[in-house]
Amino acid sequence: MDELYLDNIDEYVNDHNKIVTYKWLSLTLGVHVNTAKQMLYHYLEHKRKESSPQLHATYLVSGKLEDKGQMCHKVSVVREDQLEDFKSKMSLIVSVHVYSVQKALLKDSGPLYSVDYDAIKDNLKNCSRYSAIRCARAVPMSAAELQQVQEIQRAPPSAPENKKSAMNGDANIASKPSSKPQKGIMGMFANKSAPKNQDNSKDVKPEPKEESPVPEAPKTKPAAKSSPMANFFGKKPEKPVEKQQEAQLAIASEQQHQRTTAEEPAAVQLHKETKADSGSKTKRMEESDSEEEKMEKKKRRRIKKPQPDSSDEDVIPDSPPQMKTSEPSPKKEPETVQHSHMSSGTKIRRRRKVLKSRTFKDEEGCIVTEKDYVSESYSETEDDFQSTKQAPRNNNKAKPTSSSKDDDKKTQKKSSASSNKGSKQASIMGFFQKK
Amino acid sequence: MFSDLSAQREGSSLLCRPASEDQGPVFERTSLDYSPRTERYRVGERSFNRQYAHIYAARLMEMRPLLSERAKHKWGKNVHIRKLCDLETGEQCCIVGTLFKRMDLQPSILKEISEEHNLLPQPARNKYITEADELILEDELQRIKLEGKIDRDKCVTGSVIAIFGAEKNDGKFTVEDFCMADLPSQTPRPTLSCDKFVLLASGLGLGSSKADSMLGLQLLVDMVTGQLGDAGEQSGAATISRVLLAGNLLSQSTQDKDASTKAKYLTKKTQAGSVEAIRLLDELLLQLVASVPVDVMPGQYDPTNYTLPQQPLHRCMFPLSSVYPTLQLVSNPYEANIDGVRFLGTSGQNVCDIKKYSSMDSHLEILEETLRLRHLAPTAPDTLGCYPFYQRDPFMLEECPHVYFSGNAPVFESKLIRGSDGQEVLLVTVPDFSSTQTACLVNLRTLRCEPAFFSAFSADEDEESEMNISH
Repeated sequence: MDELYLDNIDEYVNDHNKIVTYKWLSLTLGVHVNTAKQMLYHYLEHKRKESSPQLHATYLVSGKLEDKGQMCHKVSVVREDQLEDFKSKMSLIVSVHVYSVQKALLKDSGPLYSVDYDAIKDNLKNCSRYSAIRCARAVPMSAAELQQVQEIQRAPPSAPENKKSAMNGDANIASKPSSKPQKGIMGMFANKSAPKNQDNSKDVKPEPKEESPVPEAPKTKPAAKSSPMANFFGKKPEKPVEKQQEAQLAIASEQQHQRTTAEEPAAVQLHKETKADSGSKTKRMEESDSEEEKMEKKKRRRIKKPQPDSSDEDVIPDSPPQMKTSEPSPKKEPETVQHSHMSSGTKIRRRRKVLKSRTFKDEEGCIVTEKDYVSESYSETEDDFQSTKQAPRNNNKAKPTSSSKDDDKKTQKKSSASSNKGSKQASIMGFFQKK
Repeated sequence: MFSDLSAQREGSSLLCRPASEDQGPVFERTSLDYSPRTERYRVGERSFNRQYAHIYAARLMEMRPLLSERAKHKWGKNVHIRKLCDLETGEQCCIVGTLFKRMDLQPSILKEISEEHNLLPQPARNKYITEADELILEDELQRIKLEGKIDRDKCVTGSVIAIFGAEKNDGKFTVEDFCMADLPSQTPRPTLSCDKFVLLASGLGLGSSKADSMLGLQLLVDMVTGQLGDAGEQSGAATISRVLLAGNLLSQSTQDKDASTKAKYLTKKTQAGSVEAIRLLDELLLQLVASVPVDVMPGQYDPTNYTLPQQPLHRCMFPLSSVYPTLQLVSNPYEANIDGVRFLGTSGQNVCDIKKYSSMDSHLEILEETLRLRHLAPTAPDTLGCYPFYQRDPFMLEECPHVYFSGNAPVFESKLIRGSDGQEVLLVTVPDFSSTQTACLVNLRTLRCEPAFFSAFSADEDEESEMNISH
């Protein structure tokens, strides 16, 4: 073994006036901790033989100590002069080695800690690389595993939530979900069966909670899909969860279809709900929700989603209609990750799939054209509404020059939305439709 | 013992020149089976619409059959077990109910804010018991005052016991004897072939203004991760297969009360004390989790909810260390099966609370008392904050643990107790590390516990050595 390290240590101790601890040395030179300890000892010996300027050392002593009848394992850092004293007090000595070498005599062991702290700070990732113990399980998880863990963490707490809410029966004012309507909703989404006309007032609130505990993957997806609708009734935070879930799990096309078909009856049902009178607050919220509000919520929610997703593109925070439109073919495009959603949330009655090509600018400023099946709503008013949405979308990516135009479009969109809700007239936005 | 284990290994002394091209020994950390039991103490969605009466009802309902059994066992099969409403004066019988201790000094918010009393807020006291305290037994419908052969100062509110005696003419029940539910049944632990250790530590006290204990903490981490000591010690440290941090990872000084009372414009740019402390903790945990599985329990001063059961700390606070699967963030109280040995413990809030409201001073004694009462925290929800559970009381012990611990004790104490049905429990009071620099090593094979003391030197040399001996 080359003796270069002696010079290295010499440099650190004498020239830089550092306190060289074994850990610092091991991390700096990239050697095993035991080797570092031995190096320090060697250096100390070497220097003492040469009778160079005085060096001080601290040692680590560990062993067994008898204390008030209790045997305890003691580990301590001591100065060289205290070493023999300590050794004599112990009943059994397990190990002794050099802890640090420095020029000045240390009165306090505080600086030792700061040296080690700095050494570790600089090498956070490999703090265990040179230690003498390896743990097979201590391997950092990959990003995918991490997200799975996060999912699991979110899902179980909602399961006890359900049970809790069930148990809160007497004193709790919040409505209790009964198991039957629960099954009904799940049945609706899982089996593509005709929607049952149940009183969904209770189900609305616990719906997002109920969805998540369902363990099966296929079920979670329709569940997640349906919860966007429930989300309209106030549960915004659920959305990023579902989006993540969907982003991760491979989206099979059958499930997509299932989703879309499931959403349709759900949409129909929700629509009926909104019309029906109910006493629950969520219903009231529903009724007061205008389409634009929902669109905005969707928009807001979508912006939240991109954060966990690193492979984000600008398309995602784009206007809501994209969600609707690109839903059926997410697997083809990377940005379809955004589609979890709801698109259908609004009162769209019918849909048809139309092959459309859309042009947009992605984040690098490149204009991208894509063709995909877009689920467009069928009825007249919806058509206009849809087209108004698309128009602003196309304009959104245009650079600053058209920013004011964007604002205009947005306000127009809002106004058109509100106007659409009220009347069924063809709106002025028809002008900006086909580009 | 741990030290013996380490000393037995052959390792050359490190007081020598480095051998050529020797990389140094690398030992494998012994792994063990671990299965946590987290569902019991998890509270999902919380609703505080309920009264606390439900917990007491659930507690009594579950304990009543157990206590009736014990009563029959102790006082004969023919003992009458009566409900309070069926009591007849003069008849010797047994009653089962929840104890309530009426203490004058018990802080009561109603008294404080009541105008007719004109009381100033009372300072916190060490003990709230007085001579004038009264014991009352309550069951589902009624309550009755107790007197007689029952140690009033040792009892705490919320314990469910069975009492044998008779009602005298003045409406009080004279106690002749009483019994508690005692230890529950225990599944025998498997015999292990080799020594495996679990390190218990609590009260790390990060973020405090005085950083005396930081080197001690670093020594602890270094020892566990195998950096400290020579080959023998390192191989010994490889047998430490799990680390359990039992609460109070942050020091009390991070709980800045002033922040809420100070004006916002003064506190705008200041960060909460706990932010820096959590960052320190994350770095510390990173060093640990890269080498050993760690369970982190929250404590009284940690950033989680105040009421028991305290929910696990959130993983977003530990960006560096939560990447490792070896980090387990668990609730307080905590229960897990580590290699067949059942661990159950808290961060010490339940024990401290009982200490304030009874005459018992030793944490170990209180720990044993809670085990015999078969309830982790009898004073919850009376004086100890607790979530209003509805149909269950999760603090009841259903199965007897093998290792029962509580954190943040002033000193290290451990005791092995045996139950009437052959149960064997190791009671451990984990000392507060920031003040005692001591952690505990539990040997899973022999079920013994040994303290491990970490020290550094300081300017007052003589005092230091004195302290080391007499701790």
